[in-house]
Amino acid sequence: MEFEDAPRQHYSETEKQGIFNNEFMPHIHSMYNFGYRLTLDRDDAKDLVQDTYLKAYRFIESFQKGTNAKAWLFRILKNSFINDYRKKSKEPSKVDYQEVETYYNSEEVDRQITPDLRVESLKDMIGDEISNALNSLDVDFRTVIILCDLEGFKYEEMAKILDIPIGTVRSRLHRARNLLKEKLKSYAKSMGYNNA
Amino acid sequence: MATSQNPFIQADGKKPTCMEMLQTILDGEATREQKDYFKQHMDGCMPCYKEYNVDMAIKELLKAKCCGGNCPEGLVEQIKAKVNSTIA
Ligand SMILES: [Zn+2]
Repeated sequence: MEFEDAPRQHYSETEKQGIFNNEFMPHIHSMYNFGYRLTLDRDDAKDLVQDTYLKAYRFIESFQKGTNAKAWLFRILKNSFINDYRKKSKEPSKVDYQEVETYYNSEEVDRQITPDLRVESLKDMIGDEISNALNSLDVDFRTVIILCDLEGFKYEEMAKILDIPIGTVRSRLHRARNLLKEKLKSYAKSMGYNNA
Repeated sequence: MATSQNPFIQADGKKPTCMEMLQTILDGEATREQKDYFKQHMDGCMPCYKEYNVDMAIKELLKAKCCGGNCPEGLVEQIKAKVNSTIA
């Protein structure tokens, strides 16, 4: 459960309470949103967040006081999701990582830069379009967008949260952004931007 | 204006593509020098300029629409109560 090979800490009960209340609890809203975006269900998100916080308390001595609590908590939540929820729903991962890597390294990428979605059509997406588009992505792609664009995590933090190399974080983000844009493009078309 | 070296060039000397530079910016991984360089690059590269604006608009939209606000009422108390019961 520990983040790095941090030595096991020894905290008094008061210290544990202090860390829990002052370093863990302030992230509850981000945690809930992450849980919701992963499970796409508000009750499951609530359970997931609660499980995560209980685990965080149980393993608090593998957390080093004053280090990156948010990344540590996000990692526990992500692991709980994979172990307890993803298994239950039997949703197979549709992401072919090998394919993602070669995709990114190919010469194709420069051709992708022909923009075909316009800022004006995005400005009209004032409803749930963006949220639905995000939710429709495969969970692995959804996750990197959440971590980077909503939560502002750096590559290095994302690599630790997701247990993948930094190069994979980068290529997965690239792919996720393109998939999201494809979705938004089809929404824009349905909204009447034929040239969107 | 100094003819500055492209700060996106990696240790292996490989010239970065437009897409690669743009992604470093979007992902929040660019240094000050890289941001400045890219800003100048966009003045002469229409595809980058357009794509940058679209991508930033999506990022803003995500932040505005997908952050979800607060967790359900009572969850904080519920968690604290559970933790306290494990101590006792
Ligand atoms: Zn360019």
